[in-house]
Amino acid sequence: MAIIEVKDAAFSYDGKRMIFEHVGLQAAEGEILCIIGPNGCGKSTLIDCMLGLNKLKAGQIFISGREAEALTPREFAEQVAYVPQGHRTTFAYTVLDIVTMGRTYASRTFAPPGKEQRKIAREALKQVGLSGFEDREYTRLSGGELQLVMIARAIAQQSRLLIMDEPTAHLDFTHELNVMEVITRLVKEQGLSIIMATHFLNQAYYLENAGANTRVALMNDGGLAMTGTPSQVLTQENLEQNFCIITEIVESEFGERKYILPLRNKRSL
Amino acid sequence: MKGGEQREHNFIKGAVLLILPLIFFMAAICIGRYSIRVEDVFKSFWMAVTGMDTGVDPKTYAVVVGIRFQRAVQGLLVGAALASSGACFQSLFRNPLVSSGMLGVSNGAGFGAALAILLFQNMVMTSVFAFGFGVAAVVLAYLTGKISGGTPTITLVLGGTIIQSIFSALLSLLKYVADPYSQLPAITFWLMGSLASTRMEELALSFVPMAAGMTGMMLFRWRLNVLSMGDREAKTLGIHVGLNKGMIISFATLATAGAVCISGVIGWVGLVVPHMCRMIIGSNNKWLIPASISIGACFMVFVDTICRTITGAEIPLGIVTAIVGGPFFIYLLKKTKGKSW
Repeated sequence: MAIIEVKDAAFSYDGKRMIFEHVGLQAAEGEILCIIGPNGCGKSTLIDCMLGLNKLKAGQIFISGREAEALTPREFAEQVAYVPQGHRTTFAYTVLDIVTMGRTYASRTFAPPGKEQRKIAREALKQVGLSGFEDREYTRLSGGELQLVMIARAIAQQSRLLIMDEPTAHLDFTHELNVMEVITRLVKEQGLSIIMATHFLNQAYYLENAGANTRVALMNDGGLAMTGTPSQVLTQENLEQNFCIITEIVESEFGERKYILPLRNKRSL
Repeated sequence: MKGGEQREHNFIKGAVLLILPLIFFMAAICIGRYSIRVEDVFKSFWMAVTGMDTGVDPKTYAVVVGIRFQRAVQGLLVGAALASSGACFQSLFRNPLVSSGMLGVSNGAGFGAALAILLFQNMVMTSVFAFGFGVAAVVLAYLTGKISGGTPTITLVLGGTIIQSIFSALLSLLKYVADPYSQLPAITFWLMGSLASTRMEELALSFVPMAAGMTGMMLFRWRLNVLSMGDREAKTLGIHVGLNKGMIISFATLATAGAVCISGVIGWVGLVVPHMCRMIIGSNNKWLIPASISIGACFMVFVDTICRTITGAEIPLGIVTAIVGGPFFIYLLKKTKGKSW
């Protein structure tokens, strides 16, 4: 059964201009769904709809077969964890405090999360390679470390589905790879499902080449243009049509990785 | 092993936070123009509770039981209420510059008090009006913030600012029409804040909202952490954002309105004491709220003791809080190098 299913979804902020219409998507257990598309095509809006932050104008979203709107925040958090794009830090909580917040839904109403929950949080930190960071102030982490902390918080939630909005925006190569490796492991080893919006199209190829079960949903012109495996969707013709760029799909020397080499804009200025 | 150490550490923290206000409380009763020995304080209390004659000087007894006890209790409560609601609002609005008066409670209370002074010239009515208008101001600010649907932080803050300025304009109007020889000084004095002229019944009445508010904030303090992650994240972490925000705002407002209605507008405590606590104990609301309650209580009692001892006439609280608190804050800032921001 699909862990999340979006049926004929439409959304508009002002009731006049539709951001997207007739979007149908699903993600199965142990599958990564990369949502890609040019700026302004509605990726983040769609993600907000999936998270229940935006209310659909038409269509439905099902989480594990139940209508998402009918779920309480607690039930929702049990099923779906969210990794935000660019978390804005405020007060100097410790890293462990932040990750433990992933256990919010599992704690009793007024009791702060206890020992058991902190243990799960420590475990999650270990998974993203941040053991030893527990007592650091999270306001003093680098952008890459902070992103890993956000992922650890989502892992601590122990939900079956992770929704990530551009998980590697603003990260350097090292941290980007780090995040991609963590994602691959979560999907391959633990069978989690992941939905991620991304601008880095090569990440879809990375995940495919790493052996994770990957699909790409290409959004454009107020709707879903196509879905399929990275090799099916990310072709020269499709990229030219949807992103207006001339590209070459290249393979690394030992066939380990496929990647897109952007050459130039279609309408050269 | 580590868990055991942690627990011991937490125990010590909790004990210090509990004992500190008691020390300040005792000191406040002992210190004054008429100084009293600690044993006489205990004797007076014993006499008051059991009715047994402990041989304490009747004058001492009168000062301890009749005057200073009530005043020290009021100081503890008011300081604790203001500081903890300030801490709550800072976390809720994700803004370190916010204080307990953010949603207009102080301005509303100020207007209510002034109105009561003009209409009734009666202390109890002044407290009742201050409380009522304080709460009303927050309700208005909350509804203003809700106009755009949901309660996003930015519209709440805007709503608070708008309501604050409306009430301060109305207050100016009342000051303008007040009798300059009797009513205006009363209004001005009320606005500067004081613990001096509260009666026991008023204190007993205002105890209810302050205690209820602080209890609520203590219960919600973990959720406050989660809410300080912002609405989107709090929701996806499994919290009903609107409901929890509403509850926390209600509790903080009850506590602040309860404090302001008997003590007048006391600035600074609800803004800076939470920051002092952040520097000492960290930002986790699990500890920040109890620490704010404890340190806020100590700070207020300390400042009030200065107010009534340093000169023959009383100095209004609002003046001394800043004069005493400012240097102490700078000292802490230097000592901790602004850790925890």
